[in-house]
Amino acid sequence: MTDATNPAAPVERPSLLVPDARTAKRNAAEARFRAYGLSAIIISLLALVVLLFTIFAGGAGAFRQTFLHVPVTLDAAQLDKKGNGDIEDIKKVMTLTYGKLLDQSVQDLIAKQGITIEGLTDKDVANLVSKEASAQLRNMVLADPSVIGQTVDARVLVNGRVDGYFKGRVTMESAARDSNTSPAQLQLAETLKDKGLLAKEWNWAFLTNPDASDQRPEAAGVGVAILGSLYMMLVVLFLAVPIGVAAAIYLEEFAPKNRLTDIIEVNISNLAAVPSIVFGILGLAAFINFAHLPQSAPIVGGLVLVLMTLPRIIIPARAALKAVPPSIRDAALGVGASKMQSVFHHVLPLATPGILTGVILGLAQALGETAPLLLIGMVAFVKNFPSAPPAGLFDPASALPVQVYNWTQRADPAFMERASGAIIVLLVFLLCMNLFAVFLRRKFERRW
Amino acid sequence: MKSAKLAVSALAMIAASATVATARDQIQVAGSSTVLPYATIVAEAFGENTDFPTPVVESGGSSAGLKKFCEGVGENTIDIANSSRPIKSSEVEACKAAGVSDIMEVRIGYDGIVFASDIAGNDFQFTASDWFNALSAQVVKDGQLVANPYTKWSEIRADLPDQDILAFVPGTKHGTREVFEEKVIHAGCKESGAEEAFKTALADEKAAAKACATLRTDGKSVDIDGDYTETLARIQSAKNGIGVFGLSFYENNTDKLKVGTFGGVVPSTETIAKGEYPVSRPLFFYVKKAHLTEIQGLKEFVEFFVSDELAGPEGPLAAYGLVSDPELAATQGAVANETTLTN
Amino acid sequence: MPASWTLLIVLALAAAGFLIGRSRVLAAVGGDSRKLHSRTGYYGWNIALFTAVPALFLIAIWLFAQPDVNRMVLAGVSLVLAGAGLFLSLGRTAPDFRARNAVEAFVRGLLILCSSIAILTTAGIVLSMLFETGHFFTQYPWKEFFFGTTWSPRFGGGSQLGMLPLLWGTLYISMIALAVSIPIGLFAAIYMSEYASPRMRSVAKPLIEVLAGIPTIVYGLFALITVGPLLRDYFAQPLGLGTSGSSVMTAGLVMGIMLIPFVSSLSDDIINAVPQSLRDGALGLGSTKSETVRKVVLPAALPGIVGAILLAASRAIGETMIVVLGAGAAAKMGLNPFEAMTTITVKIVSQLTGDTDFSAPETLVAFALGLTLFVLTLGLNVLALYVVRKYREQYE
Repeated sequence: MTDATNPAAPVERPSLLVPDARTAKRNAAEARFRAYGLSAIIISLLALVVLLFTIFAGGAGAFRQTFLHVPVTLDAAQLDKKGNGDIEDIKKVMTLTYGKLLDQSVQDLIAKQGITIEGLTDKDVANLVSKEASAQLRNMVLADPSVIGQTVDARVLVNGRVDGYFKGRVTMESAARDSNTSPAQLQLAETLKDKGLLAKEWNWAFLTNPDASDQRPEAAGVGVAILGSLYMMLVVLFLAVPIGVAAAIYLEEFAPKNRLTDIIEVNISNLAAVPSIVFGILGLAAFINFAHLPQSAPIVGGLVLVLMTLPRIIIPARAALKAVPPSIRDAALGVGASKMQSVFHHVLPLATPGILTGVILGLAQALGETAPLLLIGMVAFVKNFPSAPPAGLFDPASALPVQVYNWTQRADPAFMERASGAIIVLLVFLLCMNLFAVFLRRKFERRW
Repeated sequence: MKSAKLAVSALAMIAASATVATARDQIQVAGSSTVLPYATIVAEAFGENTDFPTPVVESGGSSAGLKKFCEGVGENTIDIANSSRPIKSSEVEACKAAGVSDIMEVRIGYDGIVFASDIAGNDFQFTASDWFNALSAQVVKDGQLVANPYTKWSEIRADLPDQDILAFVPGTKHGTREVFEEKVIHAGCKESGAEEAFKTALADEKAAAKACATLRTDGKSVDIDGDYTETLARIQSAKNGIGVFGLSFYENNTDKLKVGTFGGVVPSTETIAKGEYPVSRPLFFYVKKAHLTEIQGLKEFVEFFVSDELAGPEGPLAAYGLVSDPELAATQGAVANETTLTN
Repeated sequence: MPASWTLLIVLALAAAGFLIGRSRVLAAVGGDSRKLHSRTGYYGWNIALFTAVPALFLIAIWLFAQPDVNRMVLAGVSLVLAGAGLFLSLGRTAPDFRARNAVEAFVRGLLILCSSIAILTTAGIVLSMLFETGHFFTQYPWKEFFFGTTWSPRFGGGSQLGMLPLLWGTLYISMIALAVSIPIGLFAAIYMSEYASPRMRSVAKPLIEVLAGIPTIVYGLFALITVGPLLRDYFAQPLGLGTSGSSVMTAGLVMGIMLIPFVSSLSDDIINAVPQSLRDGALGLGSTKSETVRKVVLPAALPGIVGAILLAASRAIGETMIVVLGAGAAAKMGLNPFEAMTTITVKIVSQLTGDTDFSAPETLVAFALGLTLFVLTLGLNVLALYVVRKYREQYE
């Protein structure tokens, strides 16, 4: 562009300090573009905040629970009818008897404290204490039969409605309409609280207890679910990540560009679109009916999740490998490394941040899936803890999302709080994984 | 060498795990989500009061439960299938083909189906024909078959409240839907005389029955494929909605829901047991007889389930909303004798 | 002898082989490793791999295919195999043996095996559904299934099981979800990789990824309780588009939020990996930052971004909970985005977990739907592959 080509054009030289119209327009476009980006991030974070707020507002209550301190006289006449202290005979006494014993103890406590409340029925008093308490009492006696005949100070759970009252979920008005509690019962609880016998305390049991039946939301915990999820994540981590990365390396670095590679490639992206319940169908057919693995076992759940997660790991891993500039490979090959060495020593470490993103997203989804577990028997009520791995991988267990799913279906509204609590646990799980990935990413991230 | 160590330890773990597929010691139950709460209550009590481990109870629907049940006999198949409907003869055939020939049928009680609306809303006294007129695709108006013209309950019958029709009914996957269509909509079809009109119009008995149970699709009748908690949430976000619930769900949420009467009867375990409240269905579970000797505690569990302490009118199941079976004693006898299905 | 002992013996043999091989080859050259073809470790690895891998494979496959196999037979056969591997590879060990090439060929074989698992999975899925699908089509005419426009399963038989309304719902909801997540996700990715400070990026990225980990039931309830009534009261009713609390729009919007991290995080990684020299070149020619991004960086990152979008679309198609709670369960065909609709996946789940007779078409249709969806997404993926091939730009 010289003057000779267009000599006639009067060259206008605008001031460098005042941008011309075109520059202004371009700058405005730049500012707009930047604002779009920022607002996209703000929208995402806002959505996150809203969702997290609803979870925490609903679920924080699960970590605190109302307990009643009541002295219980373990009447030998009822618990050890033969009086011989034989454990087999004591075992025959059912929780029902212990429940009656507890009712009596609460009645005694009310009488001793001189509490009188209008309209308080025997049913209200009996229902004040959770049904779980009688089972706890029975276990205590079976563990140490010598306590029979003594008076022990028991710390027992209070029923879900009364607990809900102290958490603001139940009000006097709603209690009046509620067939499972009554204003009188709530008043009783209030009075007991004033006397220091009833208090809201930190509830470790939520993290360590197994699930409980529909009648005792106050006793339900995520213990078995945490173990189940942990076991499945171990299986996924040990199988899906290495296999996924290996497959990605082969397809991206070594595979000849032919029909077969194309088929594999399309196959993998197609598997990512298969609804997760279909993997459950596959798991039922392949692992349980064909390979005779046990029902409800984390090993089967883990394997199903491995198959489901693989494509979700392979696709991002391939993209990450693809993004490593060819110059890196060329340099490695140039100094005499083999193809294999150049990939494993140079390309793979550089692709790690991207691979990790895929792994995290894949694992996050695997951690949160319920549908594939539906058909292989893990969406279940499991009360007994699985043993330590590896044997525990074959014991029945549930999983965190399963627990959330089950609890949101239950009739008692107290389970909704439990479900949100379980979601908090799930998110903590996820956060730990994310933090680990952030750490690794920092270690490996480069820009060239 | 670091990677070698890692590989070795990982392999050792897999190695150890490959050998521990030992005998199963807990009972496995699967099936209907309606029976699930009752089964978990019993399983929990069973685990607490005996030396056997607590049975594992899966949900997943009657269909999936029975399908797994009919997969075969052996340790990696389930022992009990819960079902909210009796097993079909085609399913018995499929079972037999897979080697599951001796099946015990146990009826545990009845599940009541109720109609409830938001607690702050109007009172409803329903009849079957009200429901038919509100939800059917075609109704009889002035002696003519017409596409359902009603938009308010009060248009159907003057005593009903002046409220928009909006009903949350169980989706077509739920067994409750079958009962709802049969005992409410179809009964209403007969009651209101629409079935006769359909019969004359279609000249076919079967087509008339089908037309009777065809619900309108203009958004007044909303299918719920989820569970009752979803129905409740929908009522809370659309206050003029009326939902179809199980009795036990309603009894746990009496502070949020107001139940409507049906044919003048208030639903409760008593009125259903007496047969006054008509909308209910039996609940079952099925036991593989071949597993009674193979799986420890199975027989005890089945007997425990139907014992008076649990399934009786004073037991925890009734307290949770199960309508206990008036013929429970006969069921207990059948369980004791290990009576199997005959057909 | 339990299988674990067999495994441990095999591993011990492999470890011994590793050590023996390494020391033997070193001894052969008098400790001067420069005279070897490969580095000493490769000789050891060669033996270890040939000893362990075939035997381990045999055990795994045998146990899978025949779980009640006699463990003594299994142990015997696999130990013989391991021994043979050890013996053969040990015999080959000599200073001029190309150990590196052998090991690399072996590793390459393993890599191929890993990638073929995808094919096996596909085969497994097709096989596990094919039988039941065939069963379905013997009871229900295929024409009505593929071209029927009414979906109304019934208990007593006489169901109409046309899949078109479900397919339409799937496409409609996924489209809205992608229309929400692609712009937001892509802009977020661009901002994070091009504009934001490293500090902000390191905070924002993991936070946005949390969105992908929130269980979908939370999104579902959010759609049902908050978004649904909001859209109904402020958009649908004033516009006269209906009074439905659950709608395609609700589900699409909420699902879009869930999909943001799939687009943003993966695209961010890809954009970040575009060589800096390209940006420098564009900036050096006087383009603004946004022009650089639009004209240079994005085209370079296109294949990866398309991959990310495909992944998000896959997730949208497979989602159930948000659809059930947000869009309802009514199978309908319509253009009104404020009407309730449903997707194929929702119906697969609900028909499989329902109370219908398990050998009746109402349940079996789930398998047919699954297989159909499988074939459809396969078609879409082939298309996407073709598009990416055609339009990708390769740099360097």
